Amino acid sequence: MPMMKEPFLGRNPNDFRILLEGEGLENSRGIAAYRSKGGYAALEKVLQGGMSQEEVINLVKASGLRGRGGAGFPTGMKWGFVPKGPGEKYLLTNFDEGEPGTYKDRYIAEVSPHMLVEGMILGSYAIGASKSYIYIRGEFFDEIRWMEAAIREAYDAGYLGENVLGSGFTHHMDLYFGAGAYICGEETGMISSLEGKKGQPKLKPPFPALKGYLGRPTIVNNVETLAAVPWILRNGPEAYRKFGTEKSAGTKLFNISGPIARPGCYELPLGYPLKRFIYEDCGGLLDGKKLKAVIPGGASAPVLTADEVENMTLDYEAIAAAGSMLGSGAIIVIPDDVSMVDVLYNLMHFFKHESCGQCTPCREGTGWLEKMSKRFMKNEADAEDLERVYEVANNMMGKTICVLSDAAAMPAKSIIRKFAHEFEARVKRA
Amino acid sequence: MSNQVTLSINNKSVTVPAGTSIIQAAKEIGIEVPHFCWHPGLSIAGVCRFCMVKIEGNPKLQIACNTSVSEGMKVDTLSAEVKDAHKWALEFHLINHPLDCPICDQAGECELQNYYMKVGKYQSQMEENKVLKPKALDVGDTLILDTERCILCSRCVRFEDEVTKTSSLGIFNRGDQAVIGTMGGRRITHNYSYNVADICPVGAFTAKDFRFKCRVWFLSETQTICPGCSTGCNVTLFENKSQRQYYRLKPRHNPEVNGHWMCDYGRTMYEHLNASERLAAPEAAGKFTDWNVALKFLAKELSLAKSTGGANNVALIFTPQYTNEEYESVLNAVTKVLGECPKVFIWRDGAEKAEDFDGLLYRGDKNPNTRGLNDVLSAKGISSTILREDFAPLAVHGASLALIFGPEVQKAYSQFPQELSKFAELPKVVYFGVDRSELGKQFALRLPTKVFAEKSGTFVNVNGLAQKLNPNPPVFPSIRGVDEVFIELSQNFAALAN
Repeated sequence: MPMMKEPFLGRNPNDFRILLEGEGLENSRGIAAYRSKGGYAALEKVLQGGMSQEEVINLVKASGLRGRGGAGFPTGMKWGFVPKGPGEKYLLTNFDEGEPGTYKDRYIAEVSPHMLVEGMILGSYAIGASKSYIYIRGEFFDEIRWMEAAIREAYDAGYLGENVLGSGFTHHMDLYFGAGAYICGEETGMISSLEGKKGQPKLKPPFPALKGYLGRPTIVNNVETLAAVPWILRNGPEAYRKFGTEKSAGTKLFNISGPIARPGCYELPLGYPLKRFIYEDCGGLLDGKKLKAVIPGGASAPVLTADEVENMTLDYEAIAAAGSMLGSGAIIVIPDDVSMVDVLYNLMHFFKHESCGQCTPCREGTGWLEKMSKRFMKNEADAEDLERVYEVANNMMGKTICVLSDAAAMPAKSIIRKFAHEFEARVKRA
Repeated sequence: MSNQVTLSINNKSVTVPAGTSIIQAAKEIGIEVPHFCWHPGLSIAGVCRFCMVKIEGNPKLQIACNTSVSEGMKVDTLSAEVKDAHKWALEFHLINHPLDCPICDQAGECELQNYYMKVGKYQSQMEENKVLKPKALDVGDTLILDTERCILCSRCVRFEDEVTKTSSLGIFNRGDQAVIGTMGGRRITHNYSYNVADICPVGAFTAKDFRFKCRVWFLSETQTICPGCSTGCNVTLFENKSQRQYYRLKPRHNPEVNGHWMCDYGRTMYEHLNASERLAAPEAAGKFTDWNVALKFLAKELSLAKSTGGANNVALIFTPQYTNEEYESVLNAVTKVLGECPKVFIWRDGAEKAEDFDGLLYRGDKNPNTRGLNDVLSAKGISSTILREDFAPLAVHGASLALIFGPEVQKAYSQFPQELSKFAELPKVVYFGVDRSELGKQFALRLPTKVFAEKSGTFVNVNGLAQKLNPNPPVFPSIRGVDEVFIELSQNFAALAN
């Protein structure tokens, strides 16, 4: 169990802000409010202070910042994969926020869109990209407007365009609207979509850092990851590392949903106790319901039982040790009056609908799992179906181009094993 | 050499160029890694996830098609883990497949069937209803598409994108609703459409020209050369031996000639081979006769021509559709009999644009052996005159006996009937060929010839590559090849001419 760092034990999550610094400010989306909290100071420091790309990358590496989209890959290391030297490179921001239960990225756009814009300019500078795109879900009508307004303000303020702040660095930024496909949140699926193709993940190798958008070196980062970069560069990696655990540095946005008193988007230091978050910060379950299970990191994260929640902390390593994952930080609370059979069907229906269909195990497996879970729901399943769900899911894992297949298989395996009794009760009687 | 890599697959060592994929390296040493989407003539899709192999030191199984070999790599395709992965991959492919093999034309050459026998043989666990999709779609002049049978390997899509660059096909929808279809109601109309049916590993694309005509297990294969044009694509010819009926041609891989493909025009090269299209026996003045009578007649006519005017009294009219060996035997025999070589004409189609080339395989010269005929003639120092639309040179020559070696692919001659009647105006014609029309009955003698499927001989393609034909027995057992006829004539001339 990772140790919580002392200063934050017993600390109310409302007491500090990194990503949600702007929350509550008047006209917080405007550039003035953002600047009042130190916005664009990092960019000025980097560009006018003559910091090299390498220095920026090293600072981000030192901060321990990990990708907030789900996989938790170290951000600085990812940036370091981009080959140095001339030639077009791209930074793409993954704003296709589609993991069920997740609504953190849109909240950043709602509170401080400039935080993302500044983070993107800094990231682009670090990898030498003169062009970046925000791939944003088409349904995010408001967020699209807010991001567009922020980009316009950044251009007007001279943070975007030719020769930014007289540094010689040129950068342009644009938005691209997705059409609501979960798979376009997978980085190579997103690149395909941005290229105008059907949103399907690409075969790796080659990896995007070498051959991505339009065949050029490309970095894809999550909104929340990039939004953390300005604060890190402004305050230094040490300040960031004061939050979180050794392996999970900093803070993270958590979205909690389900029958709880105060659902919403919270910023917590990584390593924060899950039980305390649910019962103290979020006010516990409504109507005296009892906790049955928690999906800790979006629909693809294996489910945790109420027992497992007891001593769980919200960081990459603790949740991984329990066989699940922190993922996008979307915590879905499942009370005791919800059947896990229904939960399984709900999830399997989602993944079946969102599989792009190119890899056979995923295309066929997600459909198969959905149909089997439906039979459980209708009390029409056979006793062998319990094992079959597990076997089918097991054989969908690690076999496909992207991890959507795994994302469907993992919750299926965990639910059918951890709540086997609920499924056994639904087996049809001879 | 530094760019060679040595690895072992199932403990068998193999050395291949760096950059080779595991699936190709395995092929080199006769190890087949099961696969659907990989095709050596197309880009790598990596979507069927069937070609899983174990690479020592790698915790996860890897696909063999998109993994390059490296020095000292140890690959395993036979362990229980790999076999289980293959079995499951196949099971995923089959759960929504209609399993309508008894009425599917692909049965017998279906990769799903073949792999089920090789790596499957499991009991189906699928108790759900299958996904239903559109069937029997008319997607072009040559193809029928059944999207339920389709396993979405995307070979056809890649073929359209990469080989013909027509991009007529795409995969629409996603998940288990994903379906192959034509873009915007377009139809597949190009000259390479049958390749789509060939590369389809299952019965999704079937050829209109072949479907429901014959079960493939009744067909025997002959490896030979397409007579359709001067490219000389390497082909496999499929014949039902018990029916003496030819059904189709398919391309045979030859990287120097046709790669993996052939054109739709070439696919029709079985039509003229069957009995219904063929002259069955020699005809003298329109009446069937036997070979002895015919040969005697020919010998006497040659003898008569010689005695009345020498070799000048004879005209040899070739078409570039015979083998080098046939040209040789005719020229040798006639030269021997007449004492010198008579005037040689080469009959060509008036409408042909021989230099045309579509950039892929199909050429305007719709004769398989233009180059071979020229080679034979020039080696013998024989000059020739081209007859193209204008047959005046033939009239000017004024021979009393014309030996015409007509085309076996008559549709390569756009004016064939008209030109046949022009020949009929000559004083005396001995016609060799497959033609059985009424027009040809006017000739003094009409002799059936073998077709390419029945010959062993050589065609020289446009690039000078000599390629051998492989013979099947002729559809009518009595049919003799031009070379046999002239060798006999040469050997027994005196006896025959008496």
